[in-house]
Amino acid sequence: MAARVLLVGAGAVGARAARQLVEADDVDEVVVVEPDGARRSAVVTSSGDKATDGGPSSEGVAGAVDAVLLAGPNGTHLDEARRHLALGRTVVSCADGIPDVSGLLDLGPEAEARGTRVVVGAGFSPGLTCVLARHAARRFEVVDEIHVARSGTGGPACARAHHRALSGTSLDWRDGGWQRRPAGSGRELCWFPDPVGGQDCYRAQLPDALLLVPPFPGVNRVTARMAATRRDRITAHLPMLRKPHPEGLVGAGRVEVRGRHQGAQDVVVLGVLDRPAVAAGAVAALALRWALAERLPVGAHGLAILEDTVGFLRELAHIGIKAAAFEGSAT
Amino acid sequence: MVLLRRALAALGIAGLIAAVLRLRGSGGTPPQEGGWRELSGPELQ
Repeated sequence: MAARVLLVGAGAVGARAARQLVEADDVDEVVVVEPDGARRSAVVTSSGDKATDGGPSSEGVAGAVDAVLLAGPNGTHLDEARRHLALGRTVVSCADGIPDVSGLLDLGPEAEARGTRVVVGAGFSPGLTCVLARHAARRFEVVDEIHVARSGTGGPACARAHHRALSGTSLDWRDGGWQRRPAGSGRELCWFPDPVGGQDCYRAQLPDALLLVPPFPGVNRVTARMAATRRDRITAHLPMLRKPHPEGLVGAGRVEVRGRHQGAQDVVVLGVLDRPAVAAGAVAALALRWALAERLPVGAHGLAILEDTVGFLRELAHIGIKAAAFEGSAT
Repeated sequence: MVLLRRALAALGIAGLIAAVLRLRGSGGTPPQEGGWRELSGPELQ
């Protein structure tokens, strides 16, 4: 049975998600909701017959809705998710802010009671990086450490979130407890797929650990870092000095998983290279379709809960988003 | 002459601070061999 999907937010990520959803056979209609009328109209027009105009707010949308994809800016997801969850709808969120992600994960018991799904952090990073972490972890009996790094931004809202993330407090998991450190500290050279290559990455106010700790019980360390320049770090505490670009250029994600296989310690490094908004839209759309097909568990989870990572990555590869593995030595 | 010495001293101190800031911290070692390859075949089966 084809689904009727509500897409809230028609920015860089939402527009890409709409394109993916209208091309899916299991989606019958995509109702686009966006406060900016011109942007909403542009996305509806460019997405074909399956896309319809849902107006500026999701409260005005009439009729049955099977699933909701939240692709608006951080800070708008939790209230929307609560409302749609109360109506028994599947909810997929691209939020990458700690308050949103934390609040959405707290909806788990209600989602389980209602027998529905809330997919949290279904974007580029977190999102695709969570899938890569789970995929890399398949090679180990015990996962000890997960380190995520990302480079690049999607649309303007993502660029603003990137700017703010460098001035907040990072949240890492270490030895069974949460560790808070100033964002912008902890420089580490991370090697991303070419042509991004080596980038200095720093702690930042990122929610990855919140999404990666629950699916990996017993993990000792989970960290998340973000590539930044010196100018990014110096200006992080100031308002943005200029308007963000409509969309960032190519970005990359990198996941390093350390664990034990047959008693021996080993490390697996997986990465992905793409425009973050394009990849985020594709991941969100695919996560929504998998949630509707009940290929994700009931409750509120990130994508690291996924069991069939091969199937997910193959579907992404089919539309041009291809993961890579690093094979080499640091010495 | 005094002005010149002070200017040179200021430039020297600024250079020293910049060098310390530049070199501070352990940035890690870039990979010396190997590289990225696309996941394919058995890894995606």
